[in-house]
Order: sequence, then C-alpha cells, then structure tokens
Amino acid sequence: MTRHLSVLLTAFGATTAAQWLNYPAPGVPRLADGKPNLSAGAPRGPDGKPELDGIWFIDETPLGAYGERPVALRSEIRPEEVILTPEGEALQQQLKNYSPVCLPANISGLAAAQPFKIFSNRGTVVILYEVQTIYRQIFVDGRPLPKDPNPAWLGYSVGKWDGDTFVVETAGFNDRAPVPGGRPHSDALRIIERFRRPDFGHLQIEYTIDDPKVYVKPWMIKQSLHLTPDTELLEYICNENEKDLKHMVGGR
Amino acid sequence: MTRHIPVLLMALGTTAGAQWLNYPAPGIPRLPDGKPNLAAPPPRTADGKPDLSGIWAAAERHHQLAMEVPGGAPFTEWSRTIREARLKNEGRDIPTSRCLPSGIPPDMLRPPAPFRIIQTAGMTAILLEEFNNWRQIFTDERPLPIDPEPAWFGYSMGRWEGGTFVVETAGFNDKTWLDGAGTPHSEELRLTERFKRPDFGHMEVEYTFNDPKAFTRPWSVAVKFNLQADTELLDSHCENEQDLKHLVNK
Repeated sequence: MTRHLSVLLTAFGATTAAQWLNYPAPGVPRLADGKPNLSAGAPRGPDGKPELDGIWFIDETPLGAYGERPVALRSEIRPEEVILTPEGEALQQQLKNYSPVCLPANISGLAAAQPFKIFSNRGTVVILYEVQTIYRQIFVDGRPLPKDPNPAWLGYSVGKWDGDTFVVETAGFNDRAPVPGGRPHSDALRIIERFRRPDFGHLQIEYTIDDPKVYVKPWMIKQSLHLTPDTELLEYICNENEKDLKHMVGGR
Repeated sequence: MTRHIPVLLMALGTTAGAQWLNYPAPGIPRLPDGKPNLAAPPPRTADGKPDLSGIWAAAERHHQLAMEVPGGAPFTEWSRTIREARLKNEGRDIPTSRCLPSGIPPDMLRPPAPFRIIQTAGMTAILLEEFNNWRQIFTDERPLPIDPEPAWFGYSMGRWEGGTFVVETAGFNDKTWLDGAGTPHSEELRLTERFKRPDFGHMEVEYTFNDPKAFTRPWSVAVKFNLQADTELLDSHCENEQDLKHLVNK
C-alpha cells in the first residue's frame, strides 16, 4: 500500500530525483540508453561465486479483482506432491484459525510478499525484507546449526556454495507461521533453499519443505524473481495498522 | 526478557557450544587465554576507515536521555507539555507497548538488547535486536530525499570526517519518543550521530538533536557502547496486544 502511495505522489509531480525510489544505483551494468542491462552476466565476488546482492521482487502474476497480485499464486507448488500425515491433517484444521496480525511469515513465503534486499559481508549473507522491516541472517562462516535452540519465527540459517548455487539450510522454527498456501508445519521443519542467479537481472529460489511430522515426503516451492535496480526498500511498520484487529472476523 | 531465558537454560545444562549465543566469532583478536582482546586497535576497511561492524550494546541504560545534559534538554512549551503528560500516565503509550519501534536512539539504548552494525561499501546496516527491525545508512553520497514519507527510522546518510562516521537523519514521523521518559520530537527533527570506535571493544556515539519545534536549541548527548563478542542477535518479533489489557492508566 505504501509503495502504491509513493508512486501516486510521484505521478502528481514530486521530482523523481528527490526520491530514493528512483535513485540510479551504482554498479549496475547499463544498456546504451542508460537502462539496466538485466541480461548481463551475474556479478561474481573475489572467490568466483555469483553475488546475490540486489533488491529482488517476485515475478508478476495476473492482477486480481482489486489490482492486487495474490501472493499464493506467486509461488509454484505442485499440490499433488503435498501429502499430509494424520498429524498434519489435524494441524491443517487448526490453521483455519490462524491470524497473522503483523507477525512474520515463514521464510518460504517472505520472498513472495514485498521486495527484499540481499547483501553480504564477512561470512554473513543478510536479507532485509521490506515487509515488516525485518531481517534475516544466513551464516556462511562454517558454524553448525544450533542444537535445540529457542524456536524462532525465521529459524536459524547456515549457507554454503554448491557450484554456482547458494544452498541454505534452516531449522529451529517455531510451529506457528504457515508455509505457502496456508499449509501447516511443526517444529521439526527443515527448509533447504537453493538460490541461483542465472544472469544479472534474475534470481530463482527453490525451497524444499521437509517436515516428517506433517508431510509424508518433502515437497518443493519454486519462485522466480527479478532485480529491481535503481530503487530502494520502503519502511513498513505493520503494527501501525493494528487498528484493524477489532474489525476482523474469524480466527482468535 | 528473551535474552534472559537462554542464559537460564544454559545454566540448567544445555551445552554452550551448541548455542550461537556463545559462538566464538571469527575475526576477533584474542588474548592468550582465548578471551577477546577488547583493547586491540579497531579493525579497518580496505579504504583505511575504522570498521564499526560488530554486535554492540549500550554500557548502561539511558532512560532519561534528555536529562543527561546539564539542566535538562532545552524543551519548548510544546514538548514540555507532551512530556509531562506522558510521565503523568506512566508512559503507557510508549510505542513499544504496541509493538511499534522505539526509534532512534532508544532502540540502541536498551541493554542487554544489542544491535549489529554491518559496514559495507555504499551502505552501513544496523540490525536491531528490538523487533528484529533494520535500518540502512547510505554512504554513496546520494542526497537526503526531499519531503519523503515520514518514517519511524527516518532516512539516513553517512559520511566520514577523519575517523568519525557522521550520520544525518531526517524524514522522521513524530511518533517515537527520544527516551523512556516521554521526550517528544516533531517531524522537523534532524538527528546527527557521530560514531567513533577508539579500540576494538568500545564505541561512542554522540547524538545531536535539532528540532526547533521541540527544543529551543540543538542539544547533544554522548553514549558509550561495549562490543558483544562471541554472541548473536536473538529472534524478538513482538507479538502485539498481548500485554495491552494488563496496562495501567487507561
């Protein structure tokens, strides 16, 4: 909503150069007309691995009735592969009452909402999410995943490179935020993410959802994203809109 | 509160090595006994500037930041009235009571809750433990936006003056409190932060508040921070309205 507002203000005549939403970022390869060359090769770091740095946004899907792009459609899931265990069936029933009220989504849904920025520094890959202005750290310094950690909304993430693919393993989730499609998980959830940047302007993320308590076998979510150069993340403080809670039906 | 829980669990026998709260971070100079050498020189980035990167926590609480200047901050009548009203109802409406950000600088002044600075070329990020919110400070010489959407964390630009990282922030909304005692500010606030890292384990930040609606003149306070070596930020997403019904002074 905030992003749409700013676009509207710009249309009404605010000078675009004064807005970081239209700031030409350094380090972006450009075409002769100055536009970003999104099919240039992916940038590589001193170690020869692709750099995932940039602001990414999930590819567009057809507009819904109100001009919104339904989040559930942005993630590619093959429903026939998602088979609940009996415990999973029970959790799915309970989830009908789940009300997120400004709490974080699972990491497999966070990238499908608003844009996010990836940057890296000294053994850490950081994701700054526009949604809720929250971040996530992925440690690539060789540390092991913590054993029996305090369950966390975004879990605990460690990453390593497998060729040109950045492979992230995350565990230690709390059992609350559903995975995409409003599907349940338990605290036994482990997610493997595979990030690939085939060229400068595109990112693919594959998630393997592995939760033997809830699903008969692991299943996959795929997301295709594009670089959004020359812009910046907006602030998004969700609890500011908490005034809606008393009007909400269902749940709670 | 969250930070206290894991410490308690460890005391009950969890192996410390399995917790990132006690993970020996790479890149920290060490004494012969393996403890971090906090008096070592500060690290530097490739361009020779001090590298502020690290996990930091204020050395002490600064609940009444505005009273740390001699005689108190130079309140205008507008800000004095608001502050007194907030004190009178015991700070009930402080933004954090509704899971809203406490804003700059109180979000950095809540020990033991730490924050991480990550200094990269063109942008320095601050990852707050409080509500796991982030803040970006751009160092690519872009201008501050003109008339931006007012924001909880404002819009921040940084530059180096010798060994001092100077950050200018504008474009704040007027909803945050500058301290726990209800010191208000307006959307006109311009905040200047001067970060210095005299040695590996210590950082000082001088905050200067310039807001003609709230203060008759700019005022400054310096705060000391200690490096939090070999630990990690905790998950601390704030769950709204759990406490509201228990708050007093409705």
